[in-house]
Amino acid sequence: MAEIRLYPGSGQDERTGFAPYSAFDIPADLRQLHGRYDVEAVALRVRNWRYAEEWIMMTLGGWVATVPELPVKTGLGKIIWDGAVAADSLGKRLPELRCGTRVGQQGSLAGNQGFANFIQELSAPERPDLTIEKLAGVFDVLKPHLVKAYQKFNSETDQICDAPTIELLEDIIRKTGKHIAWGNAILNELCKTDADKQRRAARIAQLTAQLAACGGVTGEEAVVSH
Amino acid sequence: MKRFIHFDELARDSRFIRQNSAANNLMAMLPDDVNTVVDVFEKFDPLIEAATRGTAAEPLYDEYGPAYQLVVLNEPIRADDPKLMERLRLRLHGILVGELQALEGAARSLWDFPEAPWEFKMNMARQAWDEARHVQIQEKLLSHVGGEIGQYPESTFLFEAACSEDPAMRVAGVNRGLEGLACDVFRDMIRYGEAAGDDIMKQAMDFVLADEITHVRFGSEWVKEFTKNDPEYLKRTQDFRREVDRRFSFGGARSSRSDAAIRIAEQDRLDAGFTQAEIDEIATLSAGGPSKDTLNKAVAILRERHAARKAQATSSQNAAE
Repeated sequence: MAEIRLYPGSGQDERTGFAPYSAFDIPADLRQLHGRYDVEAVALRVRNWRYAEEWIMMTLGGWVATVPELPVKTGLGKIIWDGAVAADSLGKRLPELRCGTRVGQQGSLAGNQGFANFIQELSAPERPDLTIEKLAGVFDVLKPHLVKAYQKFNSETDQICDAPTIELLEDIIRKTGKHIAWGNAILNELCKTDADKQRRAARIAQLTAQLAACGGVTGEEAVVSH
Repeated sequence: MKRFIHFDELARDSRFIRQNSAANNLMAMLPDDVNTVVDVFEKFDPLIEAATRGTAAEPLYDEYGPAYQLVVLNEPIRADDPKLMERLRLRLHGILVGELQALEGAARSLWDFPEAPWEFKMNMARQAWDEARHVQIQEKLLSHVGGEIGQYPESTFLFEAACSEDPAMRVAGVNRGLEGLACDVFRDMIRYGEAAGDDIMKQAMDFVLADEITHVRFGSEWVKEFTKNDPEYLKRTQDFRREVDRRFSFGGARSSRSDAAIRIAEQDRLDAGFTQAEIDEIATLSAGGPSKDTLNKAVAILRERHAARKAQATSSQNAAE
């Protein structure tokens, strides 16, 4: 039995005996090159998302002192930290996309002035009797919108070239899903009467319309306004 | 939403009762003189009484009068104390509202200082989560000793004293002043847990202390960063921190004195970035208040006068009937 060559030589008959990788069907790599976004387009979106995550963190930080419900105060503590970690990981992706060399304020960029205005409106409620309006804006409107935007991006970007962005968004999507579930449970508890349910619905309608008008977090998102 | 809130705007649910913090602030300014201590507490008697009505502190007020706070603050937590559980509940309730105000202070720093460096925001966000967990931990420990939220009045003097509108002073006040005090208190609670064989208390407080040391370290680093290349700003910040530390010494109840109810946790503070000179300075600041002997004499007089007033009120009522 002829010995299998372990290393290739220079002649046609001096190839190794190992089967080529492509000869394996399992696991099949069905991913295809070329996504919807190039490097610059991804970096721009990362800055837009970071703007949203950073402002959510700051807004919730402002509200902790002005919401009277203790479980809301303590629950927001963890969500603030998750928001900081999300913004930080998005910021760290930027230098990898030829966008800056360090994480900082320059990392965040509003999709457009309309989205910046939306954030100002979202963070406007102050009084302690406005917990419903505060939480509905973040947990009924903005966070679900971000999850949709992240999922849409992940399905459209280059699955191989842009895998690091996909990975970090998957982590943010998973945690944001938990935040939305928590917010929904709290809001259901706070909105027992028809009047309170109406307050929640009115806030959702107002902010969703504003989000739709500005094109969402990147200024290019389709937002369904009821 | 505006930047910076007044301490009156800290939102609470219906269980909480607010206590006027004037008496707490005065504690830091009292001299070592029995008559002055008595006069000051007599003056604040109506405020102190109002804050205790309907709370678990009411029996303490009925027994000691306005001096009940001195009794509470001036005595260490000892496993063999006949009033141990009452003291424990009062101390843990005070810790819980302190953690709550620390949570609010750290979280507000995210909103109040939007232009601060990103790393500062990361530290404050982490601290917000930690303090939120500390509130949850203290709520469970309070329940562990048979207490509940709202059982005692809440003084907001921690937030009031520490939450400056300047970022360097905010971290000096909250992270070095308030959290430094927390290190002293939690080390004391760990000692109590060991002495009483309460492993739940000891382990939980040990974890919380580890977090607090981290928060003091955040403060130590950010004071340096915010004030670098500006010696005058650094001096103002240090002066602010000194004032906060003086208020948080409760007239010497937290100090290095041999009669202190809560001793300064020197090693924990060194681990957190305090210099030995700063620790010595806090010890000096804290040692300036009334001695334990002075406070005990004041408590006796205040208690006697309170009992006399009660007896007179009862006798007047009987005569009227």
